[in-house]
Amino acid sequence: MDKFLLRGIEEEGSAAIASYREKGGYAALEKALSMKPEEIIEEVKRSGLRGRGGAGFPTGMKWDFASRDPKFPKYLICNADEGEPGTFKDRPILEKNPHLLIEGMIISGHALKAEYGYIYLRGEYPGAKVVLEQAIEEAYKEGLLGDDILGKGIKFHLSVHQGAGAYICGEETALIDSIEGRRGQPRIKPPFPVNVGAWGMPTIVNNVETLSNLPLIVSIGGEKYAGIGNPECPGPKIYSVSCCVKKPGVYELPMGTTLREIIYTHAGGIRDDRPLKAVIPGGISTPVLTPDQIDCKMDFVNLPKVGSMLGSGAVMVFDDTVCLVRVCWRALRFFEHESCGKCVPCREGTGWLRNILERIENGFGRKGDIELLQDVAHSMAGKTFCPLGDGAANVVLSFIRQFHDEFEHHIEKKECMA
Amino acid sequence: MIELTIDGKLIQAEKGSTILQIAKANNIKIPHLCWDRRLKPYGGCRLCLVEVEGQRKLLAACSTPAENGMVIKTDTPVLRKARKTVLELLLVHHPLDCPICDKAGECDLQDLAYQYGPSEGRFYAERKHDPEATSPLIERNPNRCILCGRCVRVCWEHQGVGAINLIGRGFNTKISPAFEETLDCEFCGQCVDACPVGALGTKPYKYRARAWFLESTDTICPYCSVGCTLTLDLREGKILRVRGMDGVGVNEGDLCGKGRFGFDFIYSEGRLTKPLLRKNGEFQEVDWEEALYYIAERLRDIKETHGPEKIGAIGSARTTLEDDIMLARFFREVLGSDNIDSSARLGYAWALKGMEDTLGIKSNPVSLNSPIGKEVVLVLESDITSTHPIFGLKFLEAMHEGTEVIVVDPRKTKLARRGNRWLRNRPGTITPFLYGITHLAMKEGVHLKKDITAEGLDELEDGLREYTPGKVSELTGIDEDLFREVALRFINAESRLLTLTLGAAENQKGLETIHAAANLLMLLGEGPEALQIPSDYSNTYGAWLAGLRPLSGGKDLYGMLYTPGSLKALYVMGEDPLVTMPDAGTIEENLKDLELLIVQDIRLSETGKLAHVVLPASSWAEKEGSFINSQGIRQMLPKVVSTTGDSIADWKIFRNIARVMGHDLGTVEFSQLKEEAGKIVPEEGTRKWRFIPPEWEGLARTTEEYPILMVTGNIMQHSGSLSVMSKSLSHVLSDAFVQISPEDAGRFRIGDGEFIEITSPKGTVYIKARVSDEIPEGMLFVPLHFAHARVNLLTEVSRDGKALLTPVRIGPRKGNGGSPAG
Repeated sequence: MDKFLLRGIEEEGSAAIASYREKGGYAALEKALSMKPEEIIEEVKRSGLRGRGGAGFPTGMKWDFASRDPKFPKYLICNADEGEPGTFKDRPILEKNPHLLIEGMIISGHALKAEYGYIYLRGEYPGAKVVLEQAIEEAYKEGLLGDDILGKGIKFHLSVHQGAGAYICGEETALIDSIEGRRGQPRIKPPFPVNVGAWGMPTIVNNVETLSNLPLIVSIGGEKYAGIGNPECPGPKIYSVSCCVKKPGVYELPMGTTLREIIYTHAGGIRDDRPLKAVIPGGISTPVLTPDQIDCKMDFVNLPKVGSMLGSGAVMVFDDTVCLVRVCWRALRFFEHESCGKCVPCREGTGWLRNILERIENGFGRKGDIELLQDVAHSMAGKTFCPLGDGAANVVLSFIRQFHDEFEHHIEKKECMA
Repeated sequence: MIELTIDGKLIQAEKGSTILQIAKANNIKIPHLCWDRRLKPYGGCRLCLVEVEGQRKLLAACSTPAENGMVIKTDTPVLRKARKTVLELLLVHHPLDCPICDKAGECDLQDLAYQYGPSEGRFYAERKHDPEATSPLIERNPNRCILCGRCVRVCWEHQGVGAINLIGRGFNTKISPAFEETLDCEFCGQCVDACPVGALGTKPYKYRARAWFLESTDTICPYCSVGCTLTLDLREGKILRVRGMDGVGVNEGDLCGKGRFGFDFIYSEGRLTKPLLRKNGEFQEVDWEEALYYIAERLRDIKETHGPEKIGAIGSARTTLEDDIMLARFFREVLGSDNIDSSARLGYAWALKGMEDTLGIKSNPVSLNSPIGKEVVLVLESDITSTHPIFGLKFLEAMHEGTEVIVVDPRKTKLARRGNRWLRNRPGTITPFLYGITHLAMKEGVHLKKDITAEGLDELEDGLREYTPGKVSELTGIDEDLFREVALRFINAESRLLTLTLGAAENQKGLETIHAAANLLMLLGEGPEALQIPSDYSNTYGAWLAGLRPLSGGKDLYGMLYTPGSLKALYVMGEDPLVTMPDAGTIEENLKDLELLIVQDIRLSETGKLAHVVLPASSWAEKEGSFINSQGIRQMLPKVVSTTGDSIADWKIFRNIARVMGHDLGTVEFSQLKEEAGKIVPEEGTRKWRFIPPEWEGLARTTEEYPILMVTGNIMQHSGSLSVMSKSLSHVLSDAFVQISPEDAGRFRIGDGEFIEITSPKGTVYIKARVSDEIPEGMLFVPLHFAHARVNLLTEVSRDGKALLTPVRIGPRKGNGGSPAG
């Protein structure tokens, strides 16, 4: 498949507008501006595009809800708070292909009748900030942003809002709180942001990769787009592969490529050709898989069938030298650090899960600790305010489910199997 | 209406309610820690999770809207397990210091832990050891905090302050003022009542009693006219603390700092315990018999020599209705004098007169909830959140529900900061502001569309012709376009409200302001409900109704206090004119000329120091009685504590003097008085409308010699001269100060905290400066609570209810070059 999202990013100066135009950039925008907003939304629905942030919500449906809300102004926010361990799929777009995102946002703004857009950028991406701001300036200069885009009388303004280093701000309502200048904490849903979002107005929050798909959908049409990859959740997908592979990196592949193909064909197989032990398919918060499950297709439909999720498509590969208790403990350290503290099960639970995992990892595990971990995790799963707590609980539950013996070994022998 | 099933019970409920609200209304108990009736749902504690049929996940009852046909279970093994785990997690680091925690016995966490059984203690960890944070009245123990956020949210959402917030993230979150500084806020203490555990407490109550030894009694707050219900907690006959009880009283559980902390004025060291009689120029403690015989004899003498018209009385706005009735009866029946008045004369009396002149009503009770649901509310030069704090909260609540609150005030008051719009006008220009809106309303022809006619309409139209938006802008200093926009917003609103206070120190608003406000509202077809003017203090309105005012041509307060030689004898009950009333110099001269000055009070007031006899009265909580609040509701006060020293209730003192004077007022007992007081009802009036043409005198004049306007008033932590007796409130603020704008401070070379000299044609005083942007250039604001500041030496009295703006000149205190003075 031809690359679309990451086309030409290896080239020097790929972030410049001239380079983007050479690759046919902003042609889709011109086409989109001659379309009615409803027509674009219709195309998006036809394309079957599903949100790339992790939940996989049908983008067309989200847009439909927002455009039906009679309140104005509407806001379009690009969620670029990519912060989950193992996830770096948006980064190449932000740093190497920013105009793709900007074009996607202008098209989306037009479709949603939103006149103001924000890119909520992860605090730890200072480089991307420079690139994005430069690109936005270029776009303004060329009349692609502003009060009268390309003389079509359409208004769209765009700016970058940098986060301050909180994973929770990737949750859309916490992100909105943060943009409004508050402490980033998730809000109660309903009402959903599409109706009551930033400053109480309809707000559409979409992931970087989602919005970057817009130029493709507009230029080839929804129907043709729907033919890429798995028809149930079509389109190109960026997989970020890390840990014990020969060629860690980002790979743009059709949605539904198997995990095996990603690991062995694209990422070059396991480092030192060691045996594969475990794979986390979609970022640290998605349940871990065992080697016998890697023929699964990596998409929103097939991964749930094996008890995991696509998430952000961040594949983390572990070979037999890796201690999975340590991975689990390390994951919980992350969740404990990033829990916002609003709800009790997550605030207290993540800390305690980490605490117990830490003692097991350090050789001080006690009999019954596995049951205790499961009990606490069960008390969190589905009972926390937002999915952060669910994610933390599911990591523990899935690691114990898949690698029970490693945990037992750690507790009984006070040492690592690996 | 929707129908749903909770725990097998079929329930009908309003659409839009949450599951928790419906459960509460139907007496189904769902546990919760972070929910508060007054606040938006938070969903943090996860204790109120319920099972809903068909839902995969458990739902938080506090934040899930109920839907038709829902089948909900609130108590199942799954839920009990989830709740128990939450409690277990909370208790892991919550210090189990219940034996020394003041909250023990009334702690939600303790009660829930008891209900859900002991946790197995499966987790072990170091508990938090953060130091306690202290402040003048509120203490925080961060180790006990469960981070439910109720204090933070009540402070911001409900109280409109935002003194504290959640700092940090996750397990390390803590609640703190900005930069972890010492708490410096209104000290309303609402956060303390909101705290479900012992993380917040009040300093005066710390380590004073175990909750289960306390006896609780409800009474009515002695401070402002809202008339909040206070729940007094006593141990061994002493009031240890005051709380607001959710849903109880007109305040429904809300309290301000005065109500919550100000009760201890009754335990002030300055309380009078014995009558004082001046002998050879010095006060001597005497017994009641001597004092009463002295008074009886002197009053009889003066009455015989000079006639009853030379004897007068000033009553109080804070004594009970029953006390007031007896003062009035004693004067009218025993002495035959109608020279009776109260501080209402300096403000509220003129509000009543103004409303009678125009709307034809003799009383206009306030409705606390009146701002809620209105489209536009105008607040005119009134710091309602300070003078009537709980009424003030309703404006914030209305705002949250969509009302546009527009504040017109030279001072940046809390409502000015929090309201939707704030127009900073020149001090004392509310009347022309109202004229301007009325002018526009007439031009719009609103009254014609609504067919409004009444006497005086043509004269009004003529008189208002000159008050064009341009002219109003010139007078008030408000931008013309902004004025026009706000005026039209008010005129064209579906529903509206206009509110102002009119007290003894409430800026330059008087009779003409009331006329102007009523004119406008009548023209827009609004009745008296759209004009909300609360009376000042706990019983200002009651004193008025009880007849503490001349009823048959007697002298009023102006005639008695400000007219030299008008009286030979004056009886002052529970009032301190030398501190709280303007032009104190003139009052002092007149008081010194009296042959007999009797002061009856709970402490030796400034006025008392000039008296011939001082009688010790029992205070609030030491006697039975009732207050009539600004809503016109009579509320009973029980006797809660024993009297101080030999003091007795005011009403009894009058009964006793009458007896000594050989005059039978009947065998007066409290039950009779109570019955008599119960018969007092507000008068109705004709309800015939009349427009009053403009009568504004023009801007308060500054001169080259006196270039600055001084305004006196009430502040958040104090109320009149009573609250300064409270030790707790004095912890927050005990020293007089004057607020001055940064511009003037620079111009007159005055530093923050330095003493400044303020001179008016009447005299000079020295007060500490506080440089503040709450005040515009050319204005000073001085709270008048503090006797030592003697601010009222500078002021002048008006005869139409205005607290006049005093032109003054200022400068650094001479002799110390403007350095902080000792």
